[in-house]
Amino acid sequence: MTGKQTEPLTVKSCMKRTVVSIDSTATALDAAALVAKHHIGLLPVVGEAGQLVGVLDVHDLLTLELPDFVKFVSDVDFVHDFGAVETTRPSAAVLSRKVEALMEKPISVDEDAGLLRAYVLMIQRNVHDMPVVSKGGRLIGIISRVDIAAAILKMWHKVEKK
Amino acid sequence: MTAAIVLSLFIFAGSLILIFSEKLHRSITAIAAAVLMVTVGRLLGFYSESAALEAVDANTLGLLLGMMILVAMLEPTGFFQYLAVLAARASHGKPVRLFVLLGSITTVLSMFLDNVTTVVLIAPVTILITEILGLSSLPFLIAEALLSNTGGVATLVGDPPNVLIGSAAGLSFNDFLVHSLPIVAVTWTAALLLLRFLFRRELGRRPRSARAVMRLDPAESLDDPTAARRVLIVLAGAIVFFFLHHALHVSPSFVALAAAAAGLVWVRPDLNEVFRRVEWSVLIFFASLFVMVGGLEAAGVMDATVGLLRGLSGVSPHAFGIGLIWIVALLSAVVDNVPITIALIPVIQGLGESGMNIAPLWWALAFGAGFGGNGTLIGSTTNIIVAALSERTRTPITAGEFNRRGLPVMLLTCAVASLLYAALYASLFAR
Repeated sequence: MTGKQTEPLTVKSCMKRTVVSIDSTATALDAAALVAKHHIGLLPVVGEAGQLVGVLDVHDLLTLELPDFVKFVSDVDFVHDFGAVETTRPSAAVLSRKVEALMEKPISVDEDAGLLRAYVLMIQRNVHDMPVVSKGGRLIGIISRVDIAAAILKMWHKVEKK
Repeated sequence: MTAAIVLSLFIFAGSLILIFSEKLHRSITAIAAAVLMVTVGRLLGFYSESAALEAVDANTLGLLLGMMILVAMLEPTGFFQYLAVLAARASHGKPVRLFVLLGSITTVLSMFLDNVTTVVLIAPVTILITEILGLSSLPFLIAEALLSNTGGVATLVGDPPNVLIGSAAGLSFNDFLVHSLPIVAVTWTAALLLLRFLFRRELGRRPRSARAVMRLDPAESLDDPTAARRVLIVLAGAIVFFFLHHALHVSPSFVALAAAAAGLVWVRPDLNEVFRRVEWSVLIFFASLFVMVGGLEAAGVMDATVGLLRGLSGVSPHAFGIGLIWIVALLSAVVDNVPITIALIPVIQGLGESGMNIAPLWWALAFGAGFGGNGTLIGSTTNIIVAALSERTRTPITAGEFNRRGLPVMLLTCAVASLLYAALYASLFAR
């Protein structure tokens, strides 16, 4: 093993640096447009100074359309047609709600965090994407389970060759 | 003597105020107050530990526990969901038909099972079905709560006040079928018609997708058909033995506990899961109230009350019974009917000892406690549950929304019950 390989990889090395984020004062409709345009599952929410203040999951947006009554029933196998629910759209009042009222507390990692720490956090908190922040709390990237897995699995290949 | 009366009344009244203010969980308040009652009783010499244990009505607790275990086994099978799906299909998506069917199913279930559990299991599927139809769930949920409260009055096991009254007065399951069921059948029908009228606008709407409910699959909604069948057979057996318990000289609590035992042996469910679903806090609440009221009795509060009520001996027994229906109903509309019932039972027994014919008063107490809970959102736990569930839908039930329907239903059911009570007094109730 070379010295380079034993040095652990950090989140910074494999995160995506271009992050689509949204302002906390934007509306639910703005958020929906961003998600639809970029096909992303998680929108980091930033404050005025670019600091990470929350996250908005696509699920949070979809719950506006499908209230969480489905959770009341332990399984919905027997429902083959959601009928009116399929075509119910959130009201204008709901769509103009501010992102800060809808967002959740962010689960984020530091740019210098190790890959396994990031991966374990994601598994434990049951998230698939996680914002990456600088020491000062500014949003600087985003990392997914796939990003981490790919970075780790690439190392296996190097071991195999030796 | 007077110190005992003052202190025990102070503990009881204080705990009731705490319970109604909901500052503290009612079971925590009750258990703490029961301990305080025994402590004060021992210090002043009017109450003892053994007297407190004797005050706990094992028959009531056994009956509640047995039925809770049976329901706990039935809950995860999906049977309630199955019935609601059948109702939805049978309604062909017609709102009024669905309203009557879901209301009837909830009523029949709550005649034999705990009202709260019934509503907890039926309301979520109701919300799902109404959302699929594109209707507001509000009329359906309010009707389920009100009709289940009303229907529960019909049987000995239908609601907790009846269990208490049955045990204290030695009334059998059949006594309730003879005295209470016919009255409830009439009041329930009146309540249903009134609700149909109050919700005429909501129920007049055409559902956006009536056909979607026809694609609900009943077979798939039943998660565990084998367990469901077995629990239902045991439950049916229990009901047969409820009919016979008086003739066989066994108590209803023995029947319920025997049925629970038979169910556990036959179904062999995950025991931890079953016991997790049993509402221990309700049983503790009851036991603690018994200890507290036992303390009131030992302190001589009930005798003093009966002495005061004797001044009313000039009042005709008809009027006394009807007055009791309304007083208990008005109290039950704003506070929990269980403490009211537990506190009134010794008073009625005291009146009996003073020579009054108290047989009709038990029924007045049952009607008042049962129908009164409909009056306001906070009048019964089922009301609170449907409101809490509806908060997660597009049409939440506010206190105002509820009371506008609950209060008329309460007034109508109490009025109908009072009329029937007066009309049938000599032939049915006074015997």
